[in-house]
Amino acid sequence: MHYSDIDRFAALAATMGVWMCGLTRVHNLVWALAVQTGVLGVIAVLVGVEYAAPGYYVLAGAVIAIKALAIPWFLDYTAARVGVRRDLGAVLNPTLALLAAIGAMAAGYFLAPRIVPLQSTASGAAGMAVSLLLIGMLLMLTRRLAISQVIGFLVLENGIFLYALTQTHGIPLMVEMGIVLDVLVGVMIAGVVIFRLNRSFEHIDVTQLRGLKE
Amino acid sequence: MSALFLIGALPLLLALLGFVPGLARRLPGLAAVLMAAELALVAHVCRPVLGGQRPVLLAPGFAIDGLAAGFLLLTVGIVTAAVVQSAFLFPAERRAHPPAGTRPGGVIDGRLGLFYTLTALFLLAMVAVLTAQNLGYLWIAMEATTLMSAPLVYFHRSRNSLEATWKYLLLCSVGIAFALFGTVLLFAASQRPGDEGGTLALAGLLERARALDPRLLRLSFVFCLLGYGTKAGLFPLHNWLPDAHSEAPAPASAMLSGALLNCALVALWRISGIVIASGHAAVVRQTMIPMGTLTVLAASFMLVRQHDLKRMWAYSSVEHVGLLTLAMGLGSGSLFLLHAINHSLVKTALFLMAGSVLHLYGTKSLGKLTGLLRAAPGWAVVVTLAALAVAGSPPFGTFVSEWLLLQTAFGAGQVWAAGLVMVGLTVTFVAVTGHVGRILFGPAPALAVELPPRWWLLVPVVLMALSLLGGAAVSPRVLVVLSTLSQGGSIR
Repeated sequence: MHYSDIDRFAALAATMGVWMCGLTRVHNLVWALAVQTGVLGVIAVLVGVEYAAPGYYVLAGAVIAIKALAIPWFLDYTAARVGVRRDLGAVLNPTLALLAAIGAMAAGYFLAPRIVPLQSTASGAAGMAVSLLLIGMLLMLTRRLAISQVIGFLVLENGIFLYALTQTHGIPLMVEMGIVLDVLVGVMIAGVVIFRLNRSFEHIDVTQLRGLKE
Repeated sequence: MSALFLIGALPLLLALLGFVPGLARRLPGLAAVLMAAELALVAHVCRPVLGGQRPVLLAPGFAIDGLAAGFLLLTVGIVTAAVVQSAFLFPAERRAHPPAGTRPGGVIDGRLGLFYTLTALFLLAMVAVLTAQNLGYLWIAMEATTLMSAPLVYFHRSRNSLEATWKYLLLCSVGIAFALFGTVLLFAASQRPGDEGGTLALAGLLERARALDPRLLRLSFVFCLLGYGTKAGLFPLHNWLPDAHSEAPAPASAMLSGALLNCALVALWRISGIVIASGHAAVVRQTMIPMGTLTVLAASFMLVRQHDLKRMWAYSSVEHVGLLTLAMGLGSGSLFLLHAINHSLVKTALFLMAGSVLHLYGTKSLGKLTGLLRAAPGWAVVVTLAALAVAGSPPFGTFVSEWLLLQTAFGAGQVWAAGLVMVGLTVTFVAVTGHVGRILFGPAPALAVELPPRWWLLVPVVLMALSLLGGAAVSPRVLVVLSTLSQGGSIR
């Protein structure tokens, strides 16, 4: 198998995801997300160079400005205002989650051949995209704080974006931009809900939200 | 005037009016008038399409085809019903719980503006979902419906509604993210080596359906089913639905159950159409029929042990989503459309009545709701009829469509599915009549407020009359028309 630069950067993004599973400080988690998303922005530029399609530069700019800078800044601000520092995990502690994430990366590697389009030029990146998707789910399932779940969701979304970026060619820019906008609005609404959760319950621990059992 | 302007102008105006300070007192009435006008405009725009003429183009990538026309009329009708009822309910709640006291359940003026702004934007997002002729746009609009409706759930500002909002926002966003992956996989499936690229346009996908990469196509359908299935509340992905639909204020519950669930199902119907056109109908059958059947069965058993009026109707929505998924799995567009219309009419009536009952009794706990027949005889009659209709009794439209659905399932050799659905429908009937029986009879407790005037029944009665009409009007010819409409999936 031949690996391109795109594959290498995709592997970097997935490794960042694995690393995130072991982090407990919310501040570090947020900035790891920012770096990971920034790597995706770089991949968008590389794809643009490969296809000589300037649309990808616009996309890369939007991804870096909105998803790698604005959203992490907003999440960091929310975490600071709500006063949460650490998320020690709920189901698995971060050390075990880290091991599980390595498993997810392996799973992505082995699942890759099933989901690579025939004409893909960066087949390694497909597996990394799937592992990011799995790691995002893992983060959402094993964390305690509402804000970590938002971060997990963004990692999951990064996985999908990585797949779209490296395995397909020519998804309309309008569609990609619409998705980025939806994510931005979604994170802002989630931030407002987190503030309200903190005000009503005096915590943002989702494992303690049990008012609505049957 | 362009169709886009005719359909979009009034909701946009309503969204802006929500921001005007000092208008809160008049806003409910104003919104009702605007929505009634909107319904007339949408009917005007959709009529030629329903009559069999060419689809109406709204904007690049958005058009009203047969399917969109049918559901557009239904969706706008449901939102209008909810907004008209809210013009009775909200001012009454405002009087019962004056703005100074911010007790849970009270209405404050500032929230009313936000409610109508979000309702209008929510409606526009649903219109975009129904008319999208490109699966990428469809996904964006679908996520927008979640974002615009989540704050509606938090209207009452209670702890429970906040928890429901969080669950709704997060679980539906994750679910929808899977649908996005499915959409991207579909795009990848449509790429051909040496080709310029793939497509997400429905027309383009149908055109090259036979050339789609079958491996990616199958995977794509599974992800889309999981994703949009979460949004529609298919078992076992329904977890968030009873919370959100029961904690939202009644008009919002009615819109969520009566209009939004249909939008997710329309997305699934459009995607399953592509899969069927590609010659992989078996994939659709083998996933949707078991999932629909399981949903009906699970929801019916969960209906038995409910002790909250609105939660009960929410589970009943899950059950009907199961029936609609079964209809799609059987490939019957006519039954999908017919049952969606019947269910939406009845469920909207039920949620609006539930809102009125909650206002009257000050509780929605089934243990405390008794003696409605003595407290408000007229209401009791409407609740009874609507409950019988939702449980699938004749002569209502739901009975006809459920009967035809079972017939189709048996006819297609799906004996197991049909048998299990019959068990589910029976359990539902017993559970619903049991719960509603307890609400009707017995002594009436002290009521929270005086009995509201008679016109509170106007909207539910109209909806039930339409449901009766839906039962009486079905003929083989109508089914053929509905089938044609449901296949009008794309523009040339």
